[in-house]
Amino acid sequence: MMNYIAAMRLLLVEDEQDIRSFLRLSLEEAGYEVDAASDGEAAERFSAENAYDILVVDLGLPDCDGISLILRLRQTGVKAPVLILSARRSVDDRVRGLEQGGDDYLTKPFALAELLARLRNLLKRNTPAIGESTRLRVMDLELDLLRRVATRSGEMLQLTPQEFVLLEYLCRNAGRVVTRSMILDKVWGMRIQPDTNVVDVHIYRLRGKVDGKGQQPLIRTLRGVGYVLKDR
Amino acid sequence: MSSKTGKPVMHSAAWRISLWATLAYACGTMLVFVFMHQFIAQDIQRRSDAWLTGEVEVLGDVAEHTPKDALYGRVMGEVAELASKEVPNRVRSESSGNDSVFFLQLGTNGAMQLWAGPGSSEPYAAAIQKATFSQDRPTDVNVAGTTIPFRVAMLPIDNGSRVYLGLSERDQLRVLRKLRVRFILWWLLLVALGFAIAFYTTRRMLSHVRSITEAASRIGHSDLRERVPASERKDEVGQLSRTLNRMLDRIENSMHQLHTITDSLAHDLRSPLTAIRGKLEMSLLAATHGEQAEPIVSAIDELDRLTEFLNASLDVAEARADALRLSRSEIDLDELLRIMVDLYEPSMAEKGLQIRLRSVGPLTVEADAALVHRMVANLFDNELKHLPASCTVTVRLESGDGVALLSVEDDGPGFAPEVSQHLFERRVKGKDSDGHGLGLAFVDAVVRAHGGSLTATNRENGGARIVLSLPTVPVHVA
Repeated sequence: MMNYIAAMRLLLVEDEQDIRSFLRLSLEEAGYEVDAASDGEAAERFSAENAYDILVVDLGLPDCDGISLILRLRQTGVKAPVLILSARRSVDDRVRGLEQGGDDYLTKPFALAELLARLRNLLKRNTPAIGESTRLRVMDLELDLLRRVATRSGEMLQLTPQEFVLLEYLCRNAGRVVTRSMILDKVWGMRIQPDTNVVDVHIYRLRGKVDGKGQQPLIRTLRGVGYVLKDR
Repeated sequence: MSSKTGKPVMHSAAWRISLWATLAYACGTMLVFVFMHQFIAQDIQRRSDAWLTGEVEVLGDVAEHTPKDALYGRVMGEVAELASKEVPNRVRSESSGNDSVFFLQLGTNGAMQLWAGPGSSEPYAAAIQKATFSQDRPTDVNVAGTTIPFRVAMLPIDNGSRVYLGLSERDQLRVLRKLRVRFILWWLLLVALGFAIAFYTTRRMLSHVRSITEAASRIGHSDLRERVPASERKDEVGQLSRTLNRMLDRIENSMHQLHTITDSLAHDLRSPLTAIRGKLEMSLLAATHGEQAEPIVSAIDELDRLTEFLNASLDVAEARADALRLSRSEIDLDELLRIMVDLYEPSMAEKGLQIRLRSVGPLTVEADAALVHRMVANLFDNELKHLPASCTVTVRLESGDGVALLSVEDDGPGFAPEVSQHLFERRVKGKDSDGHGLGLAFVDAVVRAHGGSLTATNRENGGARIVLSLPTVPVHVA
């Protein structure tokens, strides 16, 4: 799948055997070099031996609280961003504090695509931003972010402002899967799980405008997962 | 509520209590004064009676022993004059002459023998003959032509005639009147002072109660960790705050337990759900044929619905126990509805439905954004799932009295009669509904957690109407 030039080192701290193994598998498949710890003690050992680019920490660990582990690691000089996983209902105030400090929080259960997207965001935040481009280009699709117009093979697409935002989001994540809830969150600013097909219809309409007759379809549906804008 | 201080003082309990207390106090002091007045009046009466009896005896004695010659009249006149100088309660400054005392001697046949007094003797003689006298006590006599009665003592002497000594009650009444005026002034002063003290103390006392009330209502709507201001006092107010705080301890404790239960329930269910979902996704990636993928896809969909059901269930359970945890922020409902209508419009159009928004414009509420988003999505999902084609959904946002009114109505078949009685109960759904039956129960729970209310009715012309009101300012029930 996605190969990075230098693989990112990731420390996964999760006590549940089932979750740990599938997370390790899918993270490795996504190109991370993964070390997996089942408790806080092992995590601290790993962290002392290696430098990690990013951490994924479950809040409920058998020997300690996930947050105290993160705070202890921070004290020992670990600066890597952390993605906190939690099956709890309420968001602890300390988690809010960590969120403000640049870390992220994801509630279980989650879609793998969302986990990967959040990890990418955390890593991006940690690397200095390179001059933001005003144009996005994916294959023969081009978006002018200032004039808010999109063209495909030089032909202008008639998009509503909302459709442009949706297409922009897909383009920024070209080649990567985005889920319905990610789209709802990023494009509409809603953290909801509708049990109707609202997002699908928007994508369907957008596809009708972007993928004209005789053109190579760019927007692909991955059933049960989400959507992907093809980049090759 | 802080606006309480703006209420007129007359409506406060302190005012009423001190008013009643002052009334009782005023009646009490008035009774004491009346009693004292009575006592003093009697005392004055007794003194002047004693003087009259004494003097009339002297006069009788003189009358008996003075020969009835030409000098008799002068002697008696002078004795009477002398006596009048010693009148009790007399006002010194005035009266050069004697106008408050008279002396009268009547013969056996009622013929006048001697008169010494102000003016003509006739009205006095007439009044005396009408009155009845006893020898022990002077009697009140009203003389025609004067307004103030005379107190008259009678003494029969040996020759069969009677001597009468009369004393006007004028001076006596004047003394009493003066006394009354002073009494009333003192009484008014005391009552005013009493009211001031009563009002000040009850107000102080009740201000503690008010601060407790304010704190308690604040706690009810925000944070259970807060406590009402505790005081060291041993009185009822101190007891009230201690009792309230103990009660809050217990409530917080049971809330905490409820949260622990829902949290661990969520945790115990979500962890396996995470594992299952992950494995399904992994196998979906491995599945190459559409036929293989199909059951996995539908399993993932089911799983997501189960997760959403679990979340909504726990929210409803917590809200029912008034224990829903809210993280409030300012939300513009107008903006939210515009986004939501924009989000749902294509899906509605695809089903042949129309959606319209009628809004008064920006209307801000302080609410939990995530819950309100899910609530509105729930309402729209309901319409989308249950309305037959070519219906219209009208979403209205209006501003009421301190509330934002959000209504969703349609011209569809309305609520089925078998469910319309139990719309907000969990797991109530129409026969052909494929939802989990939590929709309106969840909406109701969210609205109530925010201090609002929800009504769902069938419209007269057909169709369903759901109206929810949310306070535009956070409520602190007074």
